[in-house]
Amino acid sequence: MISIWRNNDDMRGERAAAWVVRLEADGLGDAEATTFDAWLSASPENVAAFDAALAISQTFTVNAEQVAEGVSQRQRRTVRPAMDRRYFVGGAGIAAAAMVAVAVAPQIFTPTSTDTYVTAKGEKRSVSLADGSRVDMNAGTRLTVTLARNSRSLSLDEGQAVFDVTHDADRPFTIAVGDRMVRVVGTQFDVRRRDGKLSVTVARGAVEVRPQDGGIGKAYRLRPGQRLDHTEGTEQARVMAAEPAEVLAWRSGRMVYREQSLADVVADLNQQWATPIRIEDPTLAATPVSGVLILDSQDAVIRRLALLVPIRAVRSDAGLVLQRDIASDR
Amino acid sequence: MSIVAGHSPVTMPTDPLLEIYLERRANLVRFFAARTGSVSRGEDLAQELYIKLASRDQSAITVENPVALIYRVATNVMLDHARGDARAVARDAAWRRLAHVSVGGEDIAVEPAADDAAASRQRLRQLVDTVAELPPQMQRAFRLHKLEGHSHADTARIMGLSVKSVEKHISAALKSLTLRLGR
Repeated sequence: MISIWRNNDDMRGERAAAWVVRLEADGLGDAEATTFDAWLSASPENVAAFDAALAISQTFTVNAEQVAEGVSQRQRRTVRPAMDRRYFVGGAGIAAAAMVAVAVAPQIFTPTSTDTYVTAKGEKRSVSLADGSRVDMNAGTRLTVTLARNSRSLSLDEGQAVFDVTHDADRPFTIAVGDRMVRVVGTQFDVRRRDGKLSVTVARGAVEVRPQDGGIGKAYRLRPGQRLDHTEGTEQARVMAAEPAEVLAWRSGRMVYREQSLADVVADLNQQWATPIRIEDPTLAATPVSGVLILDSQDAVIRRLALLVPIRAVRSDAGLVLQRDIASDR
Repeated sequence: MSIVAGHSPVTMPTDPLLEIYLERRANLVRFFAARTGSVSRGEDLAQELYIKLASRDQSAITVENPVALIYRVATNVMLDHARGDARAVARDAAWRRLAHVSVGGEDIAVEPAADDAAASRQRLRQLVDTVAELPPQMQRAFRLHKLEGHSHADTARIMGLSVKSVEKHISAALKSLTLRLGR
C-alpha cells in the first residue's frame, strides 16, 4: 500500500517538474495550456507539487550566478586531488596552493531584511526559510519574515500556516499574531488568524503564547495535543485538547472541524474560491459544525456542508448566500 | 438540500467566459508565474487578463473551447507586458544584492525569499550541494540552462543532444532538487 502511494507522489513530482520546465520555455501551444490547466484542476496534490517545483526553479533562477560560481568551485576542488597525484613529486607546493584556494571561498554575511509572503485564493504554498525552518501557508494568508543575526521574527497578519521550526537556541523564533506573541523552540504547530480570532495547535515541541506589549491576559505554554483559542482585544484564552493531525489536515486538502462555528468554516472556505459565501442569519452563523470537508470544488463542498448543517445555498449577483433550510429542520 | 440558482433583484447577465476565468483563476496565476518568473507578476497579469476578457465584444459567436481561448488571450497579455520575464527578476535580485542592505528595509517579495535565503551562507551551500550531487547529464543540462542562462536549443547544441532530451534532463534535475530542497 505504502509503496504504491510513494510511486504516485514520485510520478506527480515528475509531472510537476516537467510542467515548470515546459512553461518556462517559450512557445507553449493552446492544447498544452489546456492540458496544464486540466492537470492543475485534477487534484490539490498536483497544485502543491507544481508550487513546490516552481518555487525551487525560481530560487535557482534568482540565485543563478552565485550557485553557478559555487558549483564551479566545487568542481575545481574535486579535480585537484587527481592533479595532486600526477604532480606527486611537488607534493607540498600543490597542497599549499589547494589550501589557498579553499580559503578564498567567498564570505557571505547575513544582512537583516524583511520579506513578505502572500497566498491568493485557492493557493497553498510551502516556504523554506534561510534557517532551515519550513512554513506551509494556506490560501488567503499573509506572513512577514525577518531573519536577523540574533532573532527570527515573524508576523502572521492574516490566514493560516503550519510552522516546522529548526532548533536554534541563539535565535528565538517568534510570531506576532494580532495582540499575541507565539514563541517557539524547535517544534511543529499550526497558527490560524481570521476575523480577529487566533488559534494555535501544537503537534510537536512546545509553544508559548503570551500577550504582546499592550495586550492583556495570561501567558500559556502549550504542549503537543493542545490548542489555544483567543479573540483579539479580550483577556481570555481557552486551552483544550486537540488532535494535531486534524488541525494540520488542510495541507492535504482536508478541513476537519470539531464544534466550530459555521462562520469560521465559511471564513476558511472563502480563501479557496473567487465566489464569496455569505451567511445573513447570525444564529445560523453561530451553528457549530463537526465533520470533514474535502476541498474539491465549491459546489461539492457546499453540498457536503449541507449534510452537516441544515443549509441551502442561493446564488446571487454578489456570490453565494447560505440560508437555513427549513425543509430539513425537525 | 439543493443549490438553487436564485433570481437576483437586479437582472445581470452572467458571462460564462468570466465564470470560467474565476474558476480557473488560481491555475492562471500559476501559468503566468511560471512564464514570467514571478508570482506577484502572475497576479498582476491575471488581473490584466480579467479586464481584457471582461471588455471583449460579447456579441461574437459562442466560443467552442473557452478554456483554450482564455489561455490564448493570456499568452497575448503576456506578450503585451513583455517586461515581466525571469531575467528581469534575476537582474533585479542581483542589483538588490549589490546595493543592499538597509536594516529592517521592507522588501515585498511574493516569490520565496530567494535572494535573502541565498545571502545566507547555509542556504547557498545547500543549493550548491544539491546541484553538485546531481547525476552528470542532469547536472550539466541544469547548469547550462538554468544557471548559465543558455536556451534549451543552445544547451542541446552544446551537449550534442536533442532539445527533447535536454528538457527531460532539466526536468529530472528539477524533480530531484525539489525533492531534496522542498521538504
